[in-house]
Amino acid sequence: MFGDLRRFDAGISPGADWFRQWLDEVFSDEGAADIRSVPRGSFPMINVGRTDDAVRVYVLAAGLAKDDLEISVQDNVLTLRGRRDALPGGDDSERKRPCFRRERFDGEFVRSIALPEGIDVERAEARCHDGVFEIHLPKREELKPRRIEVQTA
Amino acid sequence: MNEVARHEPQAGVPARERRSSAMRPPVDIYEEDNALFVVADMPGVTRDGLSVEVDGNLLSIEGEIGIDMPEGITATYAEAQAQRYARRFTLSHEIDAAAIEARLEKGILQLRLPKKERHRSRRIEIQAA
Repeated sequence: MFGDLRRFDAGISPGADWFRQWLDEVFSDEGAADIRSVPRGSFPMINVGRTDDAVRVYVLAAGLAKDDLEISVQDNVLTLRGRRDALPGGDDSERKRPCFRRERFDGEFVRSIALPEGIDVERAEARCHDGVFEIHLPKREELKPRRIEVQTA
Repeated sequence: MNEVARHEPQAGVPARERRSSAMRPPVDIYEEDNALFVVADMPGVTRDGLSVEVDGNLLSIEGEIGIDMPEGITATYAEAQAQRYARRFTLSHEIDAAAIEARLEKGILQLRLPKKERHRSRRIEIQAA
């Protein structure tokens, strides 16, 4: 499903346009970035999709179990908080061994995203599997699209 | 499901193009006396969707994101822009490719790449003069 999402993103798609990406990096003040946009690779990655009756938020947070992510909604802003230790159980011993790459996120994070209007927070649900959290946010009844029957005159 | 349809590899698409639509999972790599360790973040990948392969001295890690999406969903915002992860590393000769172990838990792949017996580091005792 995530494969075709790139066209929805106003930003740069990875790999597809390396030259523009490079230009944007070199002349970074050319374009204005959204004040709340995040750099590529922020942890956790978030995808948002919409169906007729709900908004679905997918949080890609590898290594987090059910109780490790705190999800809250206030004034249509969804906030995700948590902590992810890149290499658990290795405080002292970890420092002693040679490390070649350290790209994975380590530590605490807080991320917020704005939701569309009209979410029924009371009926929101979330579940997780394989490091992905799915948050289901139903729309309020009165905001669901309704089919209007045409009456015969 | 038309707009966010699954991204099936198509026969007509050259391999290089398909590869470009994969995300590069972040990794940590560290070494201990007897083995190298690779830890990769691949959220959404299940055991069935994971493939770890060694071909000669090339280690390939690939994973398909398996998330059930409801019918008729349209994406409004996407940071993860591909259906799969892929990353490759070249191994050095002292790795015992046949003995590589993989573990996948909560979207984290952990690989242990043991060194061949004769390459393991040995502590050298210093004799008193």
